[in-house]
Amino acid sequence: MSVAEVIDVVLLSLRVGLVSTLLILVPGVAVGYLLARGHFRGKTVLRVLVTLPMVLPPVAVGLLLLVLFSQRFAVGSFLGNVFGGTVLFTWWAAVIASAVMSFPLLVLGAESGFRGVPRRLEQVAATLGAAPGRVFLEVSLPLARRGILHGAAFAFVRGLGEYGATALVAGDAPGRTRTLALAIFERIESFQDRDALVLSAIAIALALVTVGAAELFFGGRER
Amino acid sequence: MRSFDLRASYGGFELQAAARWESPCAALFGASGAGKSTVLEAIAGLRPGVRGSVELDGTRVDRLPAHRRCIGWVPQDSALFPHKSVRENLLFGDHGRGATGEASVRERRFDEVVETLELEPLLERSAADLSGGERQRVAIGRALLPAPRLLLLDEPLASLDRPLRARLVPYLRDIPERMGIPVFLVSHDPLEVSALAQEVFVIEAGRIVTSGAPASVFASAASWGGLRTLGAENRFEVRVLERAGGTLRIETAGGLALSMVRVEGFPEPERVAVRAEDVLIAERDPGVVSARNVFGADVVRIEPLGEQLLVHLEAAGEPWCVKITPQAAKALGVEPGKRLVLLVKAHQILPVR
Repeated sequence: MSVAEVIDVVLLSLRVGLVSTLLILVPGVAVGYLLARGHFRGKTVLRVLVTLPMVLPPVAVGLLLLVLFSQRFAVGSFLGNVFGGTVLFTWWAAVIASAVMSFPLLVLGAESGFRGVPRRLEQVAATLGAAPGRVFLEVSLPLARRGILHGAAFAFVRGLGEYGATALVAGDAPGRTRTLALAIFERIESFQDRDALVLSAIAIALALVTVGAAELFFGGRER
Repeated sequence: MRSFDLRASYGGFELQAAARWESPCAALFGASGAGKSTVLEAIAGLRPGVRGSVELDGTRVDRLPAHRRCIGWVPQDSALFPHKSVRENLLFGDHGRGATGEASVRERRFDEVVETLELEPLLERSAADLSGGERQRVAIGRALLPAPRLLLLDEPLASLDRPLRARLVPYLRDIPERMGIPVFLVSHDPLEVSALAQEVFVIEAGRIVTSGAPASVFASAASWGGLRTLGAENRFEVRVLERAGGTLRIETAGGLALSMVRVEGFPEPERVAVRAEDVLIAERDPGVVSARNVFGADVVRIEPLGEQLLVHLEAAGEPWCVKITPQAAKALGVEPGKRLVLLVKAHQILPVR
């Protein structure tokens, strides 16, 4: 495996991880806030649904996405119209697979961030005339940022290493959809253990740096 | 005219409190757990579970959400925004209803609040780095700046040191007249209530039991045995050792034997209370005195309390608080570790319901 190929794989993985994390940032924070602060029927159902991708076999999630994004279903046909063709087996499919698989990590991080914000502060903000939207933007969100960024970092790392669902919906096209995890598996299957080890080392290094930085900057006590 | 009539029931606690007052500064007085803070938070619109009405100058505000009530609230823990500077904290409410005032008026109010509360040196500091007293001053200033229709203070002087209390009391007392903002405060400190409020409502187990001018309420003989024990700082579990005529010999859990007057309705008190100002301190055993309870105690620490001092002592392994003047403390040479003698009259040990 040439250096250029390795760089391609790493850059694609970083792009997939980054885009999928950005894609789920707003909905992840919103769901995290709902779970932390909301009082509504169906909260438990929402929590179960959100955490499901963490406990389901990734291949099963991939299969569901494969069906959902096929042209036979509304989602797939709508996206087909928008993108001018199916998103399946493109790098966007890898992004979607990563987003779905890493969504729970972002939600849990955001939820714990919002839980760490003393209600007193939100209440005081309200008595100072701040409507709920302003309370959220100026008090809850900034104070929960460590939890959110912590969750986002973990979601990013999860996205980097996603294999099962990505393999099914994005396939393994070198240069187009071959991410680090797919490349490692392909190298093992081709009996290129040395390449597989090098790629694994890179994956481990990326994960270590990201998780380490997340722990260092955003882990620990919420202020 | 301001009033509330609030009802709630949760976790075995029943709140059924109604009050109506006209004075610029009124207070809700009661022990911890009596429901003071619940009432305050319900007035501010922060307790959706509490039903009833809240009326300010003829307008019902209880159906409005907290951010539209124009009621300022200073909680006991100050609740400053830790991610903002003191200036940003102070100006937080200015975006809202305060923004309707003229800029020059708002600036003048800002300058006045900053000057009176001595906030100038703190303005650019992070709210997270302030001491307890500094936080409380900023919280009061922050609540005042949007010019609320009513200012709610939860134990406003509890976390302040003595010199600042002394300076702040006149300022807090003047808020209604100077800024046109009526004040409603909750406190368990009769001194604080007497210093600030013209009218006091006493709350006990979620119900207003009496009201009136602080001087008459606190001195009311009718409330003896009930009201007087509410704010009492010293509370002990006891068992009765013996009965002799009108006197009971009791023993605290720590083994300290005390004599108290038998009170009708309390043949076997299980708990007693002694107010901190009812305990005398002597340097050494005074010999024969009328006080039936004379015992040694060690000074643990001294805490400023308004114009007075609260001396924390330990006797028979149990904590005692005694309120004395700074002059008395100086004469006695009160300092942590010093062994002193406490004197309590049998009449001053009160049975608690």
